[in-house]
Amino acid sequence: MLSVRIIFEFFASYIGTIAFALLFQVPKKYYGYCGLIGGCGWLCYKLILPYGASFTSTFLAAVLVIFLSRLFAVRKRCPVTVFLIAGIFPLVPGAGIYWTAYYVVTNELDKAGARGFETLKIAVAIVMGILLVFEFPQKWFQKEA
Amino acid sequence: METDYNREALDAAALAGDILLASGAEIFRVEETIDRIAHAYGIESCDAFVLSSGIFLTAGNEKEKEFARVRHIPLSAARLDKVTAVNQLSREIENGMHTAAQAKERLLEIQQMPSAPRFYQVLASGVGSGCFCLLFGGDMVDCGAAFLAGTLLYLYLLYLVRGRLSKIASNITGGMLVTFAAVLLYHLGIGHHLGEMIIGSIIPLVPGVAFTNAIRDIADQDYIAGAVRMLDALLVTFCIAMGVGIVMMGYHNIAGGAVF
Repeated sequence: MLSVRIIFEFFASYIGTIAFALLFQVPKKYYGYCGLIGGCGWLCYKLILPYGASFTSTFLAAVLVIFLSRLFAVRKRCPVTVFLIAGIFPLVPGAGIYWTAYYVVTNELDKAGARGFETLKIAVAIVMGILLVFEFPQKWFQKEA
Repeated sequence: METDYNREALDAAALAGDILLASGAEIFRVEETIDRIAHAYGIESCDAFVLSSGIFLTAGNEKEKEFARVRHIPLSAARLDKVTAVNQLSREIENGMHTAAQAKERLLEIQQMPSAPRFYQVLASGVGSGCFCLLFGGDMVDCGAAFLAGTLLYLYLLYLVRGRLSKIASNITGGMLVTFAAVLLYHLGIGHHLGEMIIGSIIPLVPGVAFTNAIRDIADQDYIAGAVRMLDALLVTFCIAMGVGIVMMGYHNIAGGAVF
């Protein structure tokens, strides 16, 4: 049952990422790659989540997403932004923003603080992922001669 | 003749920079592309200084005629198709495939490239909302409701607002609209998890481009541009939260507390 749910979620994030690729006007021929990156990122996040904090799993998923984005960018000779921006979307803490706003409104400020801090931690995890992978030398991504 | 040619090349380089910056490319890429194009046409003295909202470009030394250009470029929506096209063109220019005049003509064409039809964008916003609602734990009915709310959001942004409202106002009202739609659908019995429905349908507003670019600019040590883009991202996030919060507050006062 769990594995069915995981596969189902992979396709949901695949299609969701492609929808965002369209909103950012990514050229049509790259839709498939964007979807694959978004799906893999979410899969990685979901598979690691039971064994660690959301910080760790977001960080590792972000590393995977950015690594794949750079790989495809080099292979397809196009800017890395094209893959990265849509691919990172499933990891963006939209839920955190909502729950923080919700608890502030319902005056449960301790929960709001905890949720807000959690959101910030996830954002920092993405930042660290971006910083780390962009330090990798370019030749790691090029085809072996 | 020589100076005319230089002028044309610098025009092309500056135009390429304009398009890239307006379409949501990183500062590093904008500077690099301007330098690449200028060097490809044999201009040694070109110097570009790029901020998130403007490009300053000068050239000129003992041998080359002076050239200066300052362009203000407002923050706008991401157009990754244009970024890709300019990137491709700058590679071709480096390989000597275009004269400066041809390159400029091609850049003007890229600048006029049509965006995806609005109908598709509305649909994409709905599909994106639905999918993300599923990812955050909603069921199929919630997904349908988020699809409706997400579609409504882009109908509102593309047909009603059309850039006439400020960014702050359109994000607050967008957040309000989505929350209101979700609450309404929830009360009509469409959808079981109000939270997940709202989360899914605010995702199209979330400033992913500004946030990602801000981090990358800061990583490239373009601190000013990075800070401006980060401020943009934080402000938009805060506005969405405000929009959601305002409607939720009203909802709680009328319906009297959490019902889910």
